[in-house]
Amino acid sequence: MKPTNRRRFLENTAIGAIGVIGASQLIRACSSEEAGTTEVVEPSFLTTAPDGEPLKAGVVGCGGRGTGAAINYLDAGPNLSIAAVADVFQDRIDKFRAELKEEKNVELDDSVCFVGLDAYKRVIEADVDIVILATPPYFRPEHFQACVEARKHVFMEKPVAVDPVGTRAIMAASKQAEAAGLCVVTGTQRRHQWSYNNLYARVKAGMIGDITATNVYWNMGKLWHVAPQSGMNELEYMIRDWVNWTWLSGDHIVEQHIHNIDVSNWFMGKQPVEAVGMGSRLRRLTGDCYDNFAIDFVYDKQIHMGSMCRQINDCANSVSEHITGSKGIMIAGDGRQHIFDTDANVLYEYSSPVDEAGERLENNPYVQEHIDLVAAIRTGNQIVEAEETAKSNLTAIMGRQAAYTGTKVTWEEMMGADWKLGPEGPLAWGPVNMDKTVPIAGSAAEL
Amino acid sequence: MRPKRKRAGRIIFLSGILVAALITFLGNKTVVKTSTNDYCASCHVHPQASQSWKRSTHYDNPRGIHVNCVDCHLPPHGDGYLFEKAKTGIRDVWANWFKDSASLNWEAKSQIDYAKRHTFESSCIHCHQNNYPLGLTKEGREAHLYYEQQAGELHCINCHITVGHYDPDRRHAQNVDFGTAESEDAELFTEPGIMDGFSDFTEQIVGSAISFEMVTIPGGTFQMGSPENESFRNEDEGPVREVRIDSFFMGKIEVSWGEYLAFFKQTGAQGKTTDTYLKAANADVDAISGPTPPYGAPDQGWGKGNMPAMSMTPQAAKVYCQWLSKITGKTYRLPTEAEWEYAARGGTSTPYFFEGDPKRYVRKGIRNKIFGIDTSGINTYINFAENSMARTVHPDEVPANPFGLVNMLGNVAEFCSDWYSPETYGNYPDGIVSNPAGPPEGEEFVIRGGSYRDGADRVRSAARDYTQTDAWLKTDPQIPKSVWWYSDCFHVGFRVVCEYDEPILNE
Repeated sequence: MKPTNRRRFLENTAIGAIGVIGASQLIRACSSEEAGTTEVVEPSFLTTAPDGEPLKAGVVGCGGRGTGAAINYLDAGPNLSIAAVADVFQDRIDKFRAELKEEKNVELDDSVCFVGLDAYKRVIEADVDIVILATPPYFRPEHFQACVEARKHVFMEKPVAVDPVGTRAIMAASKQAEAAGLCVVTGTQRRHQWSYNNLYARVKAGMIGDITATNVYWNMGKLWHVAPQSGMNELEYMIRDWVNWTWLSGDHIVEQHIHNIDVSNWFMGKQPVEAVGMGSRLRRLTGDCYDNFAIDFVYDKQIHMGSMCRQINDCANSVSEHITGSKGIMIAGDGRQHIFDTDANVLYEYSSPVDEAGERLENNPYVQEHIDLVAAIRTGNQIVEAEETAKSNLTAIMGRQAAYTGTKVTWEEMMGADWKLGPEGPLAWGPVNMDKTVPIAGSAAEL
Repeated sequence: MRPKRKRAGRIIFLSGILVAALITFLGNKTVVKTSTNDYCASCHVHPQASQSWKRSTHYDNPRGIHVNCVDCHLPPHGDGYLFEKAKTGIRDVWANWFKDSASLNWEAKSQIDYAKRHTFESSCIHCHQNNYPLGLTKEGREAHLYYEQQAGELHCINCHITVGHYDPDRRHAQNVDFGTAESEDAELFTEPGIMDGFSDFTEQIVGSAISFEMVTIPGGTFQMGSPENESFRNEDEGPVREVRIDSFFMGKIEVSWGEYLAFFKQTGAQGKTTDTYLKAANADVDAISGPTPPYGAPDQGWGKGNMPAMSMTPQAAKVYCQWLSKITGKTYRLPTEAEWEYAARGGTSTPYFFEGDPKRYVRKGIRNKIFGIDTSGINTYINFAENSMARTVHPDEVPANPFGLVNMLGNVAEFCSDWYSPETYGNYPDGIVSNPAGPPEGEEFVIRGGSYRDGADRVRSAARDYTQTDAWLKTDPQIPKSVWWYSDCFHVGFRVVCEYDEPILNE
């Protein structure tokens, strides 16, 4: 059997389940159906983007994910190029260029590489059609708004914001993008994953009956951190260590667990109305984020989403979603992509399709996102995911605030809250003046 | 005979077609002719129609586009246009023949509640198809996001009421200059007013030229609520209870813009609404933080000075009382509902403090609908829906009640300190109730007296009403919504009482 790697797979442009309808169109078609019907609408995917006019992308944020996203984009189909890049650090840009050279044999001229806090503006001004936004999420609302105003198509990573003000800005800009005919795909890649879409189609068709509860998990070991180094000013240090700072990352429930929360919202077709929860900071080394949360989200009609996330070494781990219904349960993650009945018999197990040569086709959801984006742009079947992602983003923020404050937090409050994280005024290199105390819920009694 | 008959048939057939074509042609002509701006203006000769339209952005704009009367005041073609046109036409022709344009209250008709009925949202959306157009501000994006979440509850003109008819007194924007432009030529008070025993006194606001009259309300007992046979009585006005009230002072007039703006100027805060409110609510804090700038025009351009202040929230009214107490060294607060009714009745037990039957003054019942109503009895005493022209009046325009209080009924409705409950009276313990203060908790506050918007049934001494927090903040686009100003309520104000406490006076 021949080894199937990503490039080999992408060469097979004419095989597999090919259709011009992207995942989101499919979802839209499904979501109008009532649960209880039995016909499964089989999802179909492009295995590569259709050819068309050359598309040039700019990349804002050249860290690990920005580099990955740029390569995923180039892998998505023919006639795609990177035309400009920006980051706040020169060394990040250098690393990005080296990576791109090695992986894709693409070289970027110095004149299209921009450094600085407002370098993203140079990328937008450059002659690009698509902007890939992969900075820490604190910057996303500002960057996305600027892209939409400049009428650029956007791929942006999750999370899309760190606070309610930012999330609502994304929602409004998303509507603006929709009105302007732009295409926007976000990095909640489970929605572009073949397995999830097949499971979704069956849950929608009533295989597990009515959904009665959901449980979602992202429990894993410690993530990375950067130790303070001499010669680094405070803002530089914080941005390099961004996943550990709430104002930059949104805390790990927003930054990472959003994926699982988004699956629950996707299958439910709505977001929770309130949340109560707890969390703490037990072993995190830097920053002000927590390292564990357990949130009880409640949808209307009293359907609960149990949510847990942890970033502590040597504990029980799970990255999965469980959708429980009256007739069965769907489990995705931890190596499973199954639907069981209430007696734990397998009703359905997703397995990847087989091509003409008898080889299994594996779906890389990170590439699929870009295939779907480029296909939407080239076929004119508009796709705008930002508002949907913003809703899951705000759900995660609601959970975070429930843990930080110890109080019940409602969706309505989220839609009206003026909480904005980060230092006051425009950012500048140097000390960062803001409250860095770690929130503690409730109040202490006297001994 | 046969050919002749055939011929006649043909003639009838052809002339039928001709007549049908003529009717269609003329009908179409008529629709076109009666849809022009000139045609509309031939009857709508009042300035609220054409002049204000010509100053609005729907006429006077950089694009050179004119939006015509029927573009907004009728639904789009194919969406009930002809039906609405016929309906409007019949009503307008009737009004034109049988009513005197000058006697119609155009002012009231341009208020939002009425305007919504004659401005079709489908027509707004017919032209304005994109809620997020190029160049829309951040505030605009937030506001339209909010609008879309309030599905069906907000009409475009809730915020954009002046786009078709310009009105300098309305605005939908943060009003940072509000109340700061008033000139103060007169000498400023350096001492508060003196309360000398239980007699009327004049309060003076230190640092301003503002003073106001406080009148004595001698304590006593009275029957609170309305008897079951009182016209237009509501269930919540009973059962009637015997209530004892201690002596107190009450503001002769509703708190005026002069008084309220003195407070606003001395305490007004620019900061975040939530922060300043929390500070204000904390009694330990020395400096009282007052209202943030309003959104829109709280005075509606009806005049300031001694005109009643309005559109503040009950929380704002309470902070006003705290502030007034602090700068005068006395104890000011909102009246309890019982104190308010005792003061409004002034010893009377009739529906109003003057003679008169509500039945004669309300446009209800066949007799009143056919023969009209005679409001000459009530008109002199109360500024209410039938005589207000949809505005407040200056306190000099109405006589005082037996206690010397002006505008207790009508003008603006007044906050009480009690939470509202429809069962308040029945829940008090048996026997004479002494200085009751309402239920221990609730969601909305009592308001009393009715306003310039209310009919004669709602301005009775016993009539009860309550605040509607959500509805009255509907179009405030600020996040969070103001805790100081209502964005959609201009008919509520308040009146202060001052406690009379002999031992303290004797010290």
